[in-house]
Amino acid sequence: MEHIPSPTVDLVSLAPVLVLSVFAMMVLLVDLYVKRDKTLVIFISLVGLLMTAISAFAKFDLPVHSFNDSYVVDELSVFFIMIFTLSSALAILLSIDYNKREGIRMGEYYSLILLCTVGMILLASSTDMIMIFLGIEIVSICLYVLAGIRRSDPKSNEAALKYFLLGAFATGFLLYGMTLVYGATGTTKLGLIAELIREEQIASKPLMLMGIVLLIIGFGFKVASVPFHMWAPDVYHGAPTPVTAFMAVGPKAAAFAAFFRVFAEAMPVLSPSWESLLCIVAVLSMFIGNVGAIMQTNIKRLLAYSSVSHVGYILIAVIAKNSLGSSSLVFYMLAYAFMIFGAFGIVILIGRKENEMLEIADYSGLAYKHPLMAISMSVFLLSLGGMPPLAGFVAKFYIFSAAIKEGFVTLVVLAVLNSVISFYYYLKVIVYMYMKEPEGEFQISLAPMTVFVVVIAMVGTAGLGIFPDPILYFTQH
Amino acid sequence: MFHLAFLVPLFPLIGSIVNGFFGLRIGKKAVGWVACGTVAFSFLVTLLMLGQLLFTPAEERLFEQTLFTWMAAGDFNAAFGFQIDPLSMVMMMVVTGVGFLIHVYSIGYMHDEYSYYRFFAYLNLFMFSMLLLVMGNNFLMMFIGWEGVGLCSYFLIGYYFEKKSACDAGTKAFVMNRVGDFAFLLAIMYIFYLFGTIDYTEVFHAAPEKLILGAEPVTIITLLLFVGATGKSAQIPLYTWLPDAMEGPTPVSALIHAATMVTAGVYMVVRCSVLFNMAPFSMSVVAFIGGGTAIFAATIGMTQFDIKRVLAYSTVSQIGYMFLACGVGAYTAAIFHLVTHAFFKACLFLGSGSVIHGLHGEQDMRKMGDLKKHQPVTYITFLISTLAIAGIFPLSGFFSKDEILYHALMDGNTILWGMGVTGALLTAFYMFRLVFMTFWGESRVDPHVHPHESPKVMTLPLVILAGLAAFGGLLGIPLVHGWHALHNWLEPVLHFDMASTLEHSKHLLHEVGRHAPHWEALLIEPEENIWIEISLMLLSLTVALTGIAGAYFCYVKKPGLPDELIKGQWGYDLVKNKYEVDEFYDATFVEPTIQGSLLLWKKGDAQGIDGAVNGVAQILGWCGQQARVVQSGFVRNYALFMVLGFIMLLFIMFF
Amino acid sequence: MELLIFYPIGTLCVFLALGVVLNKSPIGSAMCLIGMMLGLAAVFAIQHAHFIAILQVIIYAGAIMVLFMFVIMLLNLKGDDTVWKTREGNTLLTGLGAVLVVGILYKMTEITGGGEFDSPTPIQETFGTTVKVGTTLFTDFVLPFEVASILLLAAMIGAVVLAKSKMDD
Repeated sequence: MEHIPSPTVDLVSLAPVLVLSVFAMMVLLVDLYVKRDKTLVIFISLVGLLMTAISAFAKFDLPVHSFNDSYVVDELSVFFIMIFTLSSALAILLSIDYNKREGIRMGEYYSLILLCTVGMILLASSTDMIMIFLGIEIVSICLYVLAGIRRSDPKSNEAALKYFLLGAFATGFLLYGMTLVYGATGTTKLGLIAELIREEQIASKPLMLMGIVLLIIGFGFKVASVPFHMWAPDVYHGAPTPVTAFMAVGPKAAAFAAFFRVFAEAMPVLSPSWESLLCIVAVLSMFIGNVGAIMQTNIKRLLAYSSVSHVGYILIAVIAKNSLGSSSLVFYMLAYAFMIFGAFGIVILIGRKENEMLEIADYSGLAYKHPLMAISMSVFLLSLGGMPPLAGFVAKFYIFSAAIKEGFVTLVVLAVLNSVISFYYYLKVIVYMYMKEPEGEFQISLAPMTVFVVVIAMVGTAGLGIFPDPILYFTQH
Repeated sequence: MFHLAFLVPLFPLIGSIVNGFFGLRIGKKAVGWVACGTVAFSFLVTLLMLGQLLFTPAEERLFEQTLFTWMAAGDFNAAFGFQIDPLSMVMMMVVTGVGFLIHVYSIGYMHDEYSYYRFFAYLNLFMFSMLLLVMGNNFLMMFIGWEGVGLCSYFLIGYYFEKKSACDAGTKAFVMNRVGDFAFLLAIMYIFYLFGTIDYTEVFHAAPEKLILGAEPVTIITLLLFVGATGKSAQIPLYTWLPDAMEGPTPVSALIHAATMVTAGVYMVVRCSVLFNMAPFSMSVVAFIGGGTAIFAATIGMTQFDIKRVLAYSTVSQIGYMFLACGVGAYTAAIFHLVTHAFFKACLFLGSGSVIHGLHGEQDMRKMGDLKKHQPVTYITFLISTLAIAGIFPLSGFFSKDEILYHALMDGNTILWGMGVTGALLTAFYMFRLVFMTFWGESRVDPHVHPHESPKVMTLPLVILAGLAAFGGLLGIPLVHGWHALHNWLEPVLHFDMASTLEHSKHLLHEVGRHAPHWEALLIEPEENIWIEISLMLLSLTVALTGIAGAYFCYVKKPGLPDELIKGQWGYDLVKNKYEVDEFYDATFVEPTIQGSLLLWKKGDAQGIDGAVNGVAQILGWCGQQARVVQSGFVRNYALFMVLGFIMLLFIMFF
Repeated sequence: MELLIFYPIGTLCVFLALGVVLNKSPIGSAMCLIGMMLGLAAVFAIQHAHFIAILQVIIYAGAIMVLFMFVIMLLNLKGDDTVWKTREGNTLLTGLGAVLVVGILYKMTEITGGGEFDSPTPIQETFGTTVKVGTTLFTDFVLPFEVASILLLAAMIGAVVLAKSKMDD
């Protein structure tokens, strides 16, 4: 009998994952013993996220590679963990009042959000394609369920089913792509792949390229880039609003982290072959996202399309692939988290039990009834559009300068043009709020936790815009 | 004293926040005090700094205050900082000074408004953005201000949101400005790409060493900057938003759409004079667009009957003059005209506001007349400003306009000079047409309306502005150049060593093995000739008087004459309909898309976009319809599109 | 020798896969799927992946497909329901897509030179054996192995949440 060598295990670098998994299970258990009032469950979830954020700093002397090079703790992953915990915490805070209002009383909801966050952390820290695949699957499965958690609502069901079917389809592409890359290199470790490519020792280049195309599709679906974006508006529309906000930020950021690791870090040498593809996907995403958003009359769909166009901008960071690219990616995701949670927070505040008030026309005259809310919404929308000096502008500018440094001038010109176009539909909402007569009565009960999220988002959006430097410094070191 | 620079924009910001959030609670009186008080403080701080700047030696008149590093990424660094130098000082004086007077005036004018506090909150926010624009020490700061003033202008144009036309006008202004902003942002990106920095001092210092005179990079940058300027400053082809912007309250028209914001483009070009000096082609583009706009808008101004629209076209035309001056390298003259224009045009707008106020909202000049009896103060101040804009000696407009014409001629370009002179003739004509129709002749006022003079709080700013319009010319007394205060003042900012730049460019070209073109012509300095200057002055005075006489003849002596003259003239109709430019934009962008989408999609609802004012948006909207058809909701269709996308990517990868 | 076995089995698999899609009755589709799974198991076996081949037979062709059949029969489809309808339209687009895919695949094989690798990785003696797979799982791939449990946990919670009969507990 052969003796199996003991595996290399480094639990300390795995600390965030372990902590959060334990808390997720704790939430499940505690939920058995509490009745309708979920305060305790929520509290445990938030504490868990906080502990996770702290435990992310367990390692010094970054980067630390562990588990045979399949897991890494580096600046990128630590920063992404911060974004994940923040966005999950904001999503949970948003859910508190929303769930009460909409009658979502399942404790598993919070547990699923935590597990999804575990998946995101794994996704952002993996340097092995199998790990990336597992991470994506954990995230996706949680999201499928979260999207459909309002079981009595046909829209929610439709969203979940659509997301699931298409997600499974896309996973097929992703897995096939990974297989081909494995076939061409004989390994699933990104570090080894990078080395093999550098030394021109890949077994078959066409196989590799085919694998790259399939990987682009797989990741492209997860981040909702054109032409793999079609699920996004329907799913964003149907899912409960806090879940929509959650989906638009955390999982997307995680997928981008993996995207960046696979393409910019493992295959920079092959960039001439994938650059043009990503450029096309990015430009298409911007244009189709913007054009789609212009025609929307529903605020959630509008934000869904706008997120598609934002994916286009963020892809530019992947294409730029320099160190500025990675830090601008991180910064953009952070800024985006604040803007999106702020905007959806307002959407939740304005809705009420019988009527979610999701049509843009429902916002008519908001500025006269609730000026503070209208101002916050305007700030979030203008920031999304890239109005200086808000966070969105800094983030965009940062990405564009990263790309310009690499010489992607045409791409940046198109991106700037798109950010100009995008103002049109953000402005449309503002026009409704400020320049139309109120149509009906607003019955807004200021749910404290939702207001809290909006305030945090406001501080983040304005703060990152006016004082971006500390964060920028942090992303670079 | 300079370390107080940050206070200048801070005060209006505080005012805006106080009024915006607590305006309803603190009452109308307090709102007015807060709004005017904060601007007054800014003005005082500016004055203090002006004093100190005056006592600084000319070469050292540059003070930079960095509040904090805004963004630093790699070697890229943008500070949140201010720059006080003679140029920004001039602009700050204009913005805070004229701005203060207009704030005071607004207390009276907006007194009966329903949401008084909202108006002042926006107005203060505008002051804040405008001050950021002129005080920033790098391009990004300027861009922040640039976007900010655009947003405020948009909100203020749409202030009377009950009027649909106001909303449309606001949206139109914003979208047209975005076209310009797009170019401006690209220019900033390009500057960053070339220089690795966006700080004014560093860029303008490095430009003569890094760039080749007249080569593509500098030409592209300057053209992009100029496109940005045409958007904000309402020049051909992006000018149509400004006349529509008159839907906003009159003080807004005076402050934003006459005195300050619309001249931001001129400020930007002057600020970047180093770059423009290095791009002769861009210079001539600037000059011709400016000259063309000056005439073009003036002709439209002759045919309008809405008092504010006449003034709006006049503004477009006068800014055209400023660009004409920039284009021939007479930056001082451009700034000089900017300053005097701020005085007399603000006075004119406020005067028209006083007239409108006195007539309870009437804006049509055909329903005015003989108002000089009822509104004597308004009449006198209005007349002074009109004489100033027409260029009558010794009022301010005479000096500034004359200086532009002189430089245009000395630059050796008689066409540009001819444009300028024609424009001056037309200006004198339409401005006096305005005065005669409004204040002279027989009263055509609706008998139910009893015209009355406006309250003191409105007339006092008028008087002060009229005084400035009368004596502002002292800033730049021509003939003896030593006396030209503004010229001496701006000299350190505008200084440009053409000879050494030429040498450097030649050197750079030789390094890449190319020969330098013949640049010697650029070095010839036109000789100062006092006799030409004097005869030019006499000529322009004659031209102005001719224009006035023409207007007198047509509108006082024989009031029926214009109607007879224009009867059946297609040319007049064309001009009266503003050369059908709006219709042209509609016909080329809006109509085909509407028709096309109607034809293609039975349900193609043009309603999808509010107000079919914007052609580009229509096209995009049409595309949006297509997207909606694709977005059918069927999972299998989505999957199909994924496969098609896959095929597309494969195709690109392998073929 | 290998190719002699591979090609017939490969062709069979392709046809069975087509059968899954084109078959009009769910039961027929499921049967085709089982056949295809078995075919795949054979392909694995040729590739020296004996352990995987066995797993394929036991888990996919066995357990999962039995579950499928149960569900289909439990649904108790009647009459029209047993025949799947295809939606009109898109046929042209689909056909075009199919033609393009085939064309591109053809081009691919041309580029790759019929599967000849530039530098094929040599296979170790122990490749694909149960011992080797086990060793790998507990050394090199211990993290994915463990993480898979989180995935399963999430899936389980999800299934319970969606299937729970009472709406609010």
